[in-house]
Amino acid sequence: MAGSPAGADSAARGGYLAAAAGCDQCHTDVKGGGRPYAGGRALETPFGTIYAPNITPDQETGIGRWRFADFTRALRWGIAPDSSHYLPVFPFPFYNHLTNDDIIDLKAFLETLPAVSQANRAGNATILFGARARAAVIIIAERFPGPWTPDPSKDSTWNRGAYLVAAVGRCGDCHTPRDYLGARDPERSLAGTVFGAGGKLAPNITPDPETGIGKWSKEDIVALLKDGQTPDFDFVGGAMAEIVRNTSRLNDADRQAIAVYLRSLPAIRGRKKAP
Amino acid sequence: MILLTKYRVLGAALTIALAGAAGLAFAQDKETVLKNRQATMKEQGKDLGSIKDYLDGKADLAQAQAGAVDLTQTTKKIPDLFPPGTGGPNPSGDYVARPVIWSDWNKFLDAQKTAAEKADVLVVAVKSGDKAQIAAAFSDLGKNGCGGCHTTFREKIEH
Repeated sequence: MAGSPAGADSAARGGYLAAAAGCDQCHTDVKGGGRPYAGGRALETPFGTIYAPNITPDQETGIGRWRFADFTRALRWGIAPDSSHYLPVFPFPFYNHLTNDDIIDLKAFLETLPAVSQANRAGNATILFGARARAAVIIIAERFPGPWTPDPSKDSTWNRGAYLVAAVGRCGDCHTPRDYLGARDPERSLAGTVFGAGGKLAPNITPDPETGIGKWSKEDIVALLKDGQTPDFDFVGGAMAEIVRNTSRLNDADRQAIAVYLRSLPAIRGRKKAP
Repeated sequence: MILLTKYRVLGAALTIALAGAAGLAFAQDKETVLKNRQATMKEQGKDLGSIKDYLDGKADLAQAQAGAVDLTQTTKKIPDLFPPGTGGPNPSGDYVARPVIWSDWNKFLDAQKTAAEKADVLVVAVKSGDKAQIAAAFSDLGKNGCGGCHTTFREKIEH
């Protein structure tokens, strides 16, 4: 896809994508001093406490034995090699949109990581049975259209921004409200919700001037993605600060593309005052 | 014996009355604390803005320097802005200060010290006038200093 570092090889492109997508946000246990991508981070989710798995190339405890087909199935459909299903805490409804080339690059990158022997921890078992039922409903209700394709009526910058938001950045995971089944509401894409990540408020990032980011300039959005800085020089905290860690690793052209795309969206009126 | 009891009762009544008055006084202080805290943070935002303006060629170096110096001073004052029992919400009603500030005060102080150090680095950079150096120090303070604190100690609420 246009926008990847020019001339870089597959693993380097994959590394760029992994940093932008923030795979290490969950798969590296930063607080616990965990090794990169070795898993172990506790995630408090609506389905109970689960622990992110080891995705280093370790043959016994990581994904070293995975074939490319296993990797694709996990990313696009949330299905493990043993055919069990992941909870949609792993944002596979978004990674479903990744292009095949990007999945190739991601796997190439993961294969370059040092293998870490660290067994995966089971989540909170008593809740997880009910969790699986809930997750099943959400997965059935969600849409899985497959690899993202560019809109030929738009330019490459817009398309790059659209792809980053839809597939890589998983912005809608927090910023799009969900319906009663738990699937994202396509009528209110990115319009914000009180029940975002961890039950926290995620603002409206459509260009509505009163309740969204309609008054933000393109540079304002870029500044937010680069440093977490808002137009009045506040700096975001909470879950968004973790995302800024990822978006700060994008190159400037990609941040600009995201800004262009967000500003092109239909303005959706949210409930509360603008961020 | 009775005399002592009478004075004890009087003493108790006075204590309760004074405590009540002090309680009222504290409630007023809490409003002032919250107002003052938000005002200080907004002032820090303005200071950062003057530095950004210099980087964008919209302000001169003197304004940026004034902003940077003010930032070092206000960042040092941060612990004083957070007496116990002032979780908020802030006057705008969009943020609360999380209880972990007081239950883990040392961790809060560490975060404030980190921000203060980064503000010191920024004022040195601004004095040099070197835009690349200033931009790097600005990002570091904002993202890791201000943002670092906000991540752990501030929560956005519906308003």
